[in-house]
Amino acid sequence: MDTQDLSIAEMGRLLRAGTVTAEKLARDALARVAARDGALHAFVLVTEERALADARRADDELKSGRDRGAFHGIPYALKDIYDTAGIRTTCHSKLRLHNVPKEDSVAVARLREAGGVLLGKLATHEFAIGGPSFDLPFPPARNPWNPEHVTGGSSSGSGTAIAARMVRMAMGSDTGGSIRGPAAWCGTVGIKPTYGRVSRRGVFPLSWTLDHIGPLSRSVEDSAITLQVLAGHDPRDPASADVPVPDYRADLEKGVAGLRIGIPRAFFATATATTPQVVAGLDRTAAQLREAGATVEDMELPEYALFSAVGRVIMMAEAFAIHEADVQTRLQDYGEITAGRFVLGAAITAADLIHAQRARRELTDAVSAALSRYDALLMLSALDTAPRFDQPTDALSSASPIQTIPYNVTGHPAMSVPIGLGTSGLPIGVQIAGRAFDEAMVFRVGRAVETLSGWENVALPGG
Amino acid sequence: MAEFPTPDALAAEFDCLMTRAGITIPPQRRAAVLTAYADLRGQIALLHGRYGPEAEPSNVFRLAPAGGK
Repeated sequence: MDTQDLSIAEMGRLLRAGTVTAEKLARDALARVAARDGALHAFVLVTEERALADARRADDELKSGRDRGAFHGIPYALKDIYDTAGIRTTCHSKLRLHNVPKEDSVAVARLREAGGVLLGKLATHEFAIGGPSFDLPFPPARNPWNPEHVTGGSSSGSGTAIAARMVRMAMGSDTGGSIRGPAAWCGTVGIKPTYGRVSRRGVFPLSWTLDHIGPLSRSVEDSAITLQVLAGHDPRDPASADVPVPDYRADLEKGVAGLRIGIPRAFFATATATTPQVVAGLDRTAAQLREAGATVEDMELPEYALFSAVGRVIMMAEAFAIHEADVQTRLQDYGEITAGRFVLGAAITAADLIHAQRARRELTDAVSAALSRYDALLMLSALDTAPRFDQPTDALSSASPIQTIPYNVTGHPAMSVPIGLGTSGLPIGVQIAGRAFDEAMVFRVGRAVETLSGWENVALPGG
Repeated sequence: MAEFPTPDALAAEFDCLMTRAGITIPPQRRAAVLTAYADLRGQIALLHGRYGPEAEPSNVFRLAPAGGK
């Protein structure tokens, strides 16, 4: 049986029917990694022994009647900023090359408790900010649709591993778009949950008040299943919210009839990097949603430049606070891109940061107010398809081609969903944002987009 | 915020800030970092002069649960 295109739910059904074992799923995934990763560099470490041990445990438990739920026996991989007990966690950096955590991060502990099978650790932009780079201990992950093109970052290996059909789910992190950017450019689903929804404890921080963690996956349902495992209050994460977690699959197939969806068109209509092919894709999606019964209309949010400025100032300031001592004494040990970004944090004044925090309140209130009129917002994830390695873009600059940072600033949940291929044969994604703690609506609209776009019928790379 | 500085003034300002922070930028990286600093400085300018004293910073920020419109 070819298992590479089985959804997480389908794998679960076959496991429970005894048609397949978790060990076979793990061995198949390991074989795909061995066959494909030499050219793509998604993985910085393959944990084969751990994977097979996890898988055998999952099989033994199912045989003895212990069923841990929808993630039981499912192979997955982790961006290499997640602490894993006894397994190297490098942040893709020379500075932490020999770091072996003593404890699992909360997310890893929850995935283990849910019966997940850990295949290994994935490439990232250094410290979730600096890349793609060729001056780091590991090569940058490459885009499976065309290895001459970047994946987007910083969850670069996660995007690659999903798009190349190595695994169905890979964990990423998102401080300015590091889940949704690679998802858009690699043709995967990627959700940044509401700030506070998933514990960040044990995941190396980039910017405490902007950091979110979440999955990249092949389908919206895969992400919903994964978030069900991850979501929930953690009293030891100071940002964790004690808000009830609903059943994320309950309304997944409910459709969009009667929903109101707003498009903040000025975000991308006024950006110089916007290309006609991605706007055409978004307009096609809007038309499909209207045809399915939703009201879809253009609306206004505060100017994009303000979201971008607030996010960058806060991110740079907080990142510098984290890395200050190493930036002062070991700057040469960071990759060039990482170093160039971290030093900017030292140039931000106290007044700059306070003004950014004042604007953050204004912007958060504006998005919440808009979402009192709309069930969801629809926009582009990126202004173009993935660029080539030799045409680098700066995802943090005012001219960034990624349009994801508004919801890091405001904390609202947002997801990138692939809708088709552009003229260059590379994926295009749209972004769906929802009310705080209403990931269920984001999944519902995303599932409709996934179905209506026909993405499920697009042939993926990876053999 | 004061008028945007000339390139020379911007470079001098950046060098001063780096010195104060105890950071030494390798000469071969200085031009790229200065370009990024100029871009960041332009973004920072958007944030100044927007608010009166009644506008407090987010702490960190507030979110209403779904349904709490």
